[in-house]
Amino acid sequence: MSEKELGEHIITIDSVSKAFIGGVQAVKDFSAKIRRREVVVIMGPSGSGKSTLLRCLNGLEEADSGTIIVDNIPLDDNRKHRLEIRKEVGMVFQSFNLFPHLTSLENVNLAQIRVRKKSQKEATKFSMELLNKVGIAEKAGNYPAQLSGGQQQRVAIARALAMMPKVMLFDEPTSALDPEMINEVLDVMKNLATEGMTMVVVTHEMGFAREVSDWVIFMDEGQIVETGTAEHFFKNPQEDRTKLFLSQIL
Amino acid sequence: MSEEIKVRVSPLHWLRQRIFLFRHPWTDIIEYVALIALIIWLMWMSTARLGYYWQWFRVPKYLFQIKQGKLVVGQLIKGLFFTFRISGVSLVLAFVAGLTTALVRLSGSFMGRILSRVYLETIRNTPLIVQIYLMYFVIGPILGLGRFGSAVLALTLFEGAYMSEIFRAGIVSLHKGQWEAAHSLGLSGFYIYRDVILPQAVRRILPPLTGQVITLIKNSALVSIVSLSDLALNAKIIAADTFLTFEIWFTAAAIYLVITVALSTVAYYLEKRFKILT
Repeated sequence: MSEKELGEHIITIDSVSKAFIGGVQAVKDFSAKIRRREVVVIMGPSGSGKSTLLRCLNGLEEADSGTIIVDNIPLDDNRKHRLEIRKEVGMVFQSFNLFPHLTSLENVNLAQIRVRKKSQKEATKFSMELLNKVGIAEKAGNYPAQLSGGQQQRVAIARALAMMPKVMLFDEPTSALDPEMINEVLDVMKNLATEGMTMVVVTHEMGFAREVSDWVIFMDEGQIVETGTAEHFFKNPQEDRTKLFLSQIL
Repeated sequence: MSEEIKVRVSPLHWLRQRIFLFRHPWTDIIEYVALIALIIWLMWMSTARLGYYWQWFRVPKYLFQIKQGKLVVGQLIKGLFFTFRISGVSLVLAFVAGLTTALVRLSGSFMGRILSRVYLETIRNTPLIVQIYLMYFVIGPILGLGRFGSAVLALTLFEGAYMSEIFRAGIVSLHKGQWEAAHSLGLSGFYIYRDVILPQAVRRILPPLTGQVITLIKNSALVSIVSLSDLALNAKIIAADTFLTFEIWFTAAAIYLVITVALSTVAYYLEKRFKILT
């Protein structure tokens, strides 16, 4: 992929651990730094802690120990900090999680009006731009249930973008989609990457990783097993665990 | 939406499906009327034996009367207006109490959770009639509440407890992804409830909530024990004065029925109107 200029560190994860009630250690002593405009793909078998790690980054899960700093704001007990970080970090979920009682447009408008305190008119103008960008402007008045999975996920991306986030987190954004809809979502994500959005993506889409990611983290049992470019993972993965995993998904 | 699947069904099966799947408010109304007719017929049979002398013609003046070209409201309708008033005030307050209790119960506050639980269990596990007496004789005077205030407080607390459980059930029934999506957008707790959670929860709980509103109206008849002249007390007084026992009580029952059925019908259409596509 073409070289792009990476910025300073925007996310710093320092020895983060997270266990669930019942003692399952989801994330163990995880550290990583992510630069502005970087696209990072996190891969790993199910239960390896990748989703938990991602959800720690915007405070949906609270880490037991370690520090997370996003755009110079520490993610700590301070509720204000958490809200600030959530304004800067957009998230896209595996199951879309659109608000079913609101139309596509209203879904995208909501946070702009309530959090960014924009007027209805301003919000709608920007929302339509975003819906246009994800190629779904004609469905602005439709309710989520009237859209296909791929369309819903694109609305969800537009909704996250509406906050003008500095970082976008994607939690297996294409795993719940029918195969023919995966590409329409990946295309939107690729465009975002090209525009220089900082992205952390949990996915098993190797094509996407290869095309747009700057580096890939392979996780297992809550820890980093191996990191490197997508090329590195394709051509000569070092660890046995990585080789085994890749042989299963490729 | 769904594809038609041609399956041979027996006429009996078809009929059963119609009966159980098709429920229109009219179905309820017709059933109710049939039931009432049956009861009246039974009463008629038994009173025929008793030699009861029906005097329906004496009833209308307790509803409406025309005196010197002016419409005068009778005792029963006056009682009905009072029932409306006390139910209406209690309903609004019970809504607030119920929602507040549900939110406190679901909040992070330990004391709040305990308090709301104690409130709920105390109210739910004691008879309303006892609570009305207690409010009227003990708590009302302490708070400086009169007859009306005490009765409203009793009804509010009683119905609020039940409503809180309905609200809570509606709120926790929503998928946690809704919370997560709302949180991830940076919405504050207030807006999450107002714009995301409650609009969905309220639509889900509309049927049990309607049931609770109807219960409230019916329970308001109990305030007659502290001499508030609602529909029930006025009916009792008239029946005692005139010995029109059956006529008056049937009339009062019919009035309650008309109100509650009307409410059910409104709720039925609201439910359809605000249905969330899934």
